[in-house]
Amino acid sequence: MNLLQPERLDALAREHALGTLHGGARRRFETLLAGQPQARDALERWQEHFAPLAAVVPPVQPREAVWQQLSQRLRLQPAGATGWRRWLGMPVLGGALAGVLIGVVLGAVVLQQQPQWLGLEVVRDKLPPSYVGVLSNPEGKPVVLLSSRRQGRVLMARMLQPLPAPPGLVSRIWAFPEGGGAPFLVGSAPASGIAPMALPDTSERLFAKVERLGLSFEPAGASPTAPSTPLVVAGPCVKLW
Amino acid sequence: MSTNDELASLLGRIALRDQRAFELLYRATSAHLLGVAYAVMRDRERAEDVLQEAFVNVWHGAAGFRSSVATPMTWLINIVRNKAIDRIRVGQAERNSSVPLDDEALQVGDDEAQQPQRLIEAGFLRARIDGCMSGLSAGQRQALALAYFRGLVHAEIAQTLGAPLGTVKAWVRRGSDRMRDCLRAAGVTSA
Repeated sequence: MNLLQPERLDALAREHALGTLHGGARRRFETLLAGQPQARDALERWQEHFAPLAAVVPPVQPREAVWQQLSQRLRLQPAGATGWRRWLGMPVLGGALAGVLIGVVLGAVVLQQQPQWLGLEVVRDKLPPSYVGVLSNPEGKPVVLLSSRRQGRVLMARMLQPLPAPPGLVSRIWAFPEGGGAPFLVGSAPASGIAPMALPDTSERLFAKVERLGLSFEPAGASPTAPSTPLVVAGPCVKLW
Repeated sequence: MSTNDELASLLGRIALRDQRAFELLYRATSAHLLGVAYAVMRDRERAEDVLQEAFVNVWHGAAGFRSSVATPMTWLINIVRNKAIDRIRVGQAERNSSVPLDDEALQVGDDEAQQPQRLIEAGFLRARIDGCMSGLSAGQRQALALAYFRGLVHAEIAQTLGAPLGTVKAWVRRGSDRMRDCLRAAGVTSA
């Protein structure tokens, strides 16, 4: 039997959404979902049809222990945690990796901004005060490193891996102020390599209250005042001093 | 309850590993989602296990949420429902499924409002399709309610309602067809 026949697919999707599909048929349909978008579309249509029913189920407040176990299991930071890991908003391992990345890669970027340092015999053990952002993709892999001297007016974008914008679109970097303030456009990112962006003001004035940075693909030539498409990569904006 | 836009935005942030967004989503939706799991499982502790499993999936799979095809709440509800249904089916297999089902499934104890028939009426009313659904027979409503709220399969519904299997299948099909058509007519869903 051809499961992909639209009527057959619709019937299976209905049964799955309702819950009456069971045993081998349920497993086979779920296998189909993984590789067949039309199966997913059919299922999601039926799930929406039944959604009004779920809306009337009386809520049951879970015990606080459920959240505690969940956050332990996922190794989430306690809500009151402070410091780098909290700033980074990542699990312990991700935070450590990002920390190493900030240290190593930022060092390279800053040296490129300050080539005269290479000639210094006295090695400074402290990086200059800077704003740094490590933008990661949904899989948690760092993709873009942004850095700017605290009183500087140039933001360096270093692509840790190529991120070309789809045809007709350009990569825009956005800053998101803390407390849910309106985001503002910082500049455009290159597809790969390193590129400087001129800032309209010093980093200190622009980023002092910025919590997160993100990149979205926007129509070329447009002047959006906020991301019009989902962020492709995002991450915390941290003060390096 | 937060708006769909707020929940969609939280899911977007969770896809980027934002822990605060994850906690906000949990706080905003967990009571409703536990209600959904509890309706199917009738066991608070097991329902809480399912809720926890579902949120592990949400943490790892938030990038799979597509706002163009589903509302965030529907997406979350279906993760929870599927886990709850899988769990009761495993439990049934362990109990050798030879234990005859009686009408216990319809008698869910002290909370009248929990009863599937009452829930389904409330669902129709909430979606403002109660008038449109009035053409549905009692059997069609009960069959639909037992399937959706209790996760029963056709044979179990047939046994519970004392109706032939073929009749129950037709009830479920006609009941859900009618529901889809009424929702479309009311402009609640477009697809």
